[in-house]
Amino acid sequence: MSRLSLQMGWRLLRRELRAGELTVLLLALLVAVTAMSSVAFFSDRIEQALTRQASQLLAADLVSNGNRPPPDAWRRHAAQRGLQQAESATFPSMVFAREQAVLATLKAVTAGYPLRGEVQLRTPRGVQEGRLAPAPGELWADTRLLQKLGLRLGDSVRLGNVSLRLSAELLREPDGAMDLYNFIPRALFNHADLAATGLVQDGSRVRYRLMVAGDAASVAGYRQWLAPRLDQRTRLEDVEEARPEVRSALERARRFLGLTALLSVLLSAAAVALAVRRYLARHWQSVAVMRALGQTGGEVALVWGSLFLWLALVAGVLGTVAGYGVQAGLLRLAQQWLGSGLPAPALAAWLSGPLSALILLAGFALPPLLALRRIPALAVLRADMPTSGRSLPAPLLAVLALLGLAAWQVGDGTLALWLLGGLAGFLLAVGLLAWGVVRLLRRVPLSGAVGWRHGAANLARRPWLAVIQIAALSVSLMALLTLTVVRDDLIGAWQKSLPADAPDSFLINLQAPQQATLDTLFARVGRSAPQAAPMTRARLLSINERAVKGSDYADERAQRLAEREFNLSWRAAPPPGNGFAAGKWWPAGSTQPAFSVEQGLAETLGIRMGDVLAFDIAGKRWQAPVTSLRKVAWDSFQPNFFVIAPQGWMGGESASYITSYRAPDKDFNNRLVAALPNVTVIDISVIVREVKAVIGRLALAVETMFSLALAAGVLVLWAALAATRDERQFDVALLRALGASRQQVRAVILAELAWLGGLTGLLAGIGAMAIGSLVAVQLFNLPLAPNLWLPLLGALCGGAVVGLAGWPLLRKITRTPPTDILRNS
Amino acid sequence: MILRADALARQVDYHGQTLTILHQASLSVAAGESVAIVGASGSGKSTLLAILAGLDPASSGEVWLDGQALSALDEDGRALLRRDRVGFVFQNFQLMPQFTALENVMLPLELAGRSDARAAASAMLQRVGLGHRLDHYPRHLSGGEQQRVALARAFVVRPTLLFADEPTGNLDPATGRQVIELLFQLNAEAGTALVLVTHDTALASRCAAVYRLNDGRLQREAT
Repeated sequence: MSRLSLQMGWRLLRRELRAGELTVLLLALLVAVTAMSSVAFFSDRIEQALTRQASQLLAADLVSNGNRPPPDAWRRHAAQRGLQQAESATFPSMVFAREQAVLATLKAVTAGYPLRGEVQLRTPRGVQEGRLAPAPGELWADTRLLQKLGLRLGDSVRLGNVSLRLSAELLREPDGAMDLYNFIPRALFNHADLAATGLVQDGSRVRYRLMVAGDAASVAGYRQWLAPRLDQRTRLEDVEEARPEVRSALERARRFLGLTALLSVLLSAAAVALAVRRYLARHWQSVAVMRALGQTGGEVALVWGSLFLWLALVAGVLGTVAGYGVQAGLLRLAQQWLGSGLPAPALAAWLSGPLSALILLAGFALPPLLALRRIPALAVLRADMPTSGRSLPAPLLAVLALLGLAAWQVGDGTLALWLLGGLAGFLLAVGLLAWGVVRLLRRVPLSGAVGWRHGAANLARRPWLAVIQIAALSVSLMALLTLTVVRDDLIGAWQKSLPADAPDSFLINLQAPQQATLDTLFARVGRSAPQAAPMTRARLLSINERAVKGSDYADERAQRLAEREFNLSWRAAPPPGNGFAAGKWWPAGSTQPAFSVEQGLAETLGIRMGDVLAFDIAGKRWQAPVTSLRKVAWDSFQPNFFVIAPQGWMGGESASYITSYRAPDKDFNNRLVAALPNVTVIDISVIVREVKAVIGRLALAVETMFSLALAAGVLVLWAALAATRDERQFDVALLRALGASRQQVRAVILAELAWLGGLTGLLAGIGAMAIGSLVAVQLFNLPLAPNLWLPLLGALCGGAVVGLAGWPLLRKITRTPPTDILRNS
Repeated sequence: MILRADALARQVDYHGQTLTILHQASLSVAAGESVAIVGASGSGKSTLLAILAGLDPASSGEVWLDGQALSALDEDGRALLRRDRVGFVFQNFQLMPQFTALENVMLPLELAGRSDARAAASAMLQRVGLGHRLDHYPRHLSGGEQQRVALARAFVVRPTLLFADEPTGNLDPATGRQVIELLFQLNAEAGTALVLVTHDTALASRCAAVYRLNDGRLQREAT
C-alpha cells in the first residue's frame, strides 16, 4: 500500500468521521472489538493464573486426602525419603466472638505449611507474604469472617473449648483461594490447638491432608510406595489433578462468555455489512469521478482500502481499551474465587481486538471494496450504481471471517463451527418468526389512526431489514429478560414451594449425651426439642456378596456413591414424611438385621428388594437384606438418609447426631452453640442468601456481556435506519406535500418504531417465558406458572430500547421540507 | 380568485453571493380556470410551483390561496390548507411503494381524518378505471396506471386547486395523451382550478391561460 493512498485514506477517514458517514460502522466495530478483547483478556489472565498456581493450589507436590488422620507409618516413610511434610485438618465449625457465632471452614495446619506457594496476610505491621503458619494460640481469619463478626486484629476468638488470638487477616492461602462454592468464611489456626478445641469427635466431617514436597524422584518414589497402601477413604492429589472442578467451572464460564461475545460479534457483523453497503452506495459516484479523472481501479481500491485499514486501527485501539475495562469489571466480580494479583494479560490478548476489527472488515468490506475497481469512468454519467460481477464470493468470505474469529475465540475449529451454527440457527429461527409476524402485520386490516397503519406498512415494506433488526435485538433482550426477571421468578417460586414452618437450621456433630442439653434449651422457649437422628459414615462393600466397585457403573453419580462413604442412620419408627415404594417398615423394637434403602439410591446402584447388602462402618462389617424401599422428599429440610437400619440391631454403635428445626428466635442459634460448642449450626437462610449473592454476581457478569450484545443489536437498528434514510425522507416530503401536519409525520415514524420495538420485545418476552418454564421444569423440577407479564414487559422494554435508540436518528427526518418532493422529480 | 400571486421573488445565498431565481412574478387563477406555466429546464418552474403551493416560502411578495395569505401561516397552517384545498400530480407519480393503490388514494383522506376514506378512495379508483387493481402495489402497475392512481389521489379530496408538475414527463406519448384526457375530464367534473407546469407547448395550449417563465421572469402569453 503506497504512502500516498495511506495518506489519502487517513484524510478521507478524518473527513468522513466528522461528517458522520462512518459513525455506525465505527461503533459496530467498537462493540465487536470490545466484546472480543474483554473475553480474550479475561480468559488469558485466568489461564495464566491457573497455570502459575497449579502447584500452589495444593500447597505441596503430593497430598494424601482422607477422612482419617494419616497413619504414623506414612509420616515416617516420607521422612526417610527426605521429603518435607506438613499436615492440615479442615472442617466446618462455629466460630464465636462478641456473643455471636458464625459458621466457618477451619483449617488447622502444622509448622512448615505451606510447602509450596505463599500465604498472604495483613498484620498490624502491614501485608506479609511467605511460607507462614499461625503460631499456637493464634488464629488468622479471612476478610469475610472479620466482617461477619465485626472483628479487629488482637480480638479473642473462641473455637470450641479454646480461645485464640486473632493475629492476622488472611488475604490468600494457596490451597483455599479457588473454591467456586467457597462462600463460607475461612480461618487458619495451629494444628497443636486442634485437640484442645474438642471440635473433632466421632462422625465429625474432617478432611485430613498429609502434604509432602521435595525433588521429583523422591516424590515419585513416595507416591509409588503410598498408592497401594491407601484405603477407600483416602485419595492422592498431585499437581496434575489439582482442583479439576475449579478448572472445569472456569472453563465453562469462559466458554459461555465467549459465546456471548460471539453473539455480539455476529450482530456487529450484520451492522458492519449494512453500514459498508450504505457507505459505498453513497460514495460510488466519487469513485466514478476519480476514475474519470484518470485513477486506475486498483488505485481507487487502495485509497478506500487504506480508509478501512485506518478505521480498523482506530476501532481496534479504542475497543481494546474498552475491552480492558469490561474485563477488569468481570474479574472484580470473580475476585472472590481468583484472589487478587492476577498476572497481566499476554501480548496475544492485546492483539485480539485490533485483529478482530481487521478480520471483520476483511470479511464484510473487502468484497464490495474490490468491486469498486470495476466501476467504470463512464459511470459518472449514470444515476444508478452499476452492478458489476463480483470478484470474490462475498458471503463465503464473510462466513470464513466469522468462523475464523469464532475458532480463535473458543480455540477449537469444530466447536466453533457448532457454536456459530447454533447461534446462526437460533437467529434464523427468531428471524423466521419475525418474518411471519411482519407478513401477518401487513395482512391484518388495521383501522384507526393513520400512523399505526402507516408504521406497520413501513415495516413490511422492507421485510428483510425488519427481520434482521428484530432478530438482532430480540435475542439479546431475551437473554437479559431471562437473567433478570425469570431468575427472580425462579428463586421466588422455589422459596414459595417451601412450607412457612420449614426448618431453617441444621444442627450437626451433636453427641448422644447432648440431647438433654438440647431438650433444656428448647424447653426454655416453651417448645419441644426435635429428636436428633444418629448418623455414621458407611461404605457399601457388596450387594449379594458381589463386591461393589465404582468401575462397574457407567453413571458418574453411581461411581461416586460406590467409591465413597455416605451417611447411614438407625431408627425404631419410620422417619416422618417418608413413603414406601416397596416392602414395609420393621416392627418397633426389632433386633433383626435389615436395611431400608432410599428408592433413588437403589435405582442408581441397582439394588432390589431382598438383596443382601454389606456395609463397612468404622472397620466393622454389617450385613442384612433390604426389607423396604423408601420415597424421600429431599427438599423437606429434614435430615434424610439413604440407608437406615433397625435401632435394636445397630443402636449400640457410636455416632454423631443430626437434626433440623426452625429457630424460635433470632438469638437462639447463638445460645445453642454457646451451650454446645462442638456442634455446628448451618443457618439455611444465610446459605440461601449467600447462594443468591453468588448467582447475582455470576448473572451480572453474564448480563454485562449480553449488554454488549444488546448494544450490537442497537447498532444493527441504526445501520438499518440509516440505510433507509433517503426513502424515509421521500415519504415525509410527500406526506407534507399532501398536507400532513408535523404531528402526523411524527406519529407515522414513532408508530413504525413502536411496531418494531413492540414486536422485538414481544418475541423476547415470549422467548424468556419459554426458557423460564423449561428451566423450571427441567432443572429445578418446579412448576413455574408462565409469567404472563413477560411478553408485555418485553414489548415495553423493546419499545423503549428501539424508541430511545431510533428516535434521535429519525427526528431530523421529520423536518424534511415538503419542497423536496419536487427536487426528487 | 382561487390563487393570486403578487410580485413573488426568490433569492438564495450561495457563498456570500445572492442569486435571484425568481423576479417579481405575478399571476392569478380564477375558480375552475386552467393555467399553464411553460419554460425551459432551469427557468425556475419548480421554484415557482413550490412557492405557489406553499411548499416553500417566497423571499418577498405574497401568495393568496383561496383568500388566505400564505405568509401569514406557519408550516403546519400551510399544510392544513394544502390538505383541504390542494391536489398534486407529479412527474414521477410519487406513490408510496409500501402502500397498495387503494391505500395510496386513501392517504389524503386519512390525513384529513375522514372516516369514509376506504369507500371514497375505492369509488375514485373505479372512476379512473382501476377498480380491478385496488390491492396492487405501485411496483406492479404500469407507468400510466401509476399516474392514474396519482390522479385519483389528487382528486379524491375534491380540491379547489390542482398543481400538476410535468404529469406526462415520464410517460410515452400515447399513454401521456390518455392521462391528460383523464386529467382534464376530472378537472371539468370537479370544477377544479388547474396549474399545469410543462415544457410541452401543445399541452399548454389546452389551458385557458399560458404563462412563460424565462430566466426567472414570468410573462403571460397572448392566447
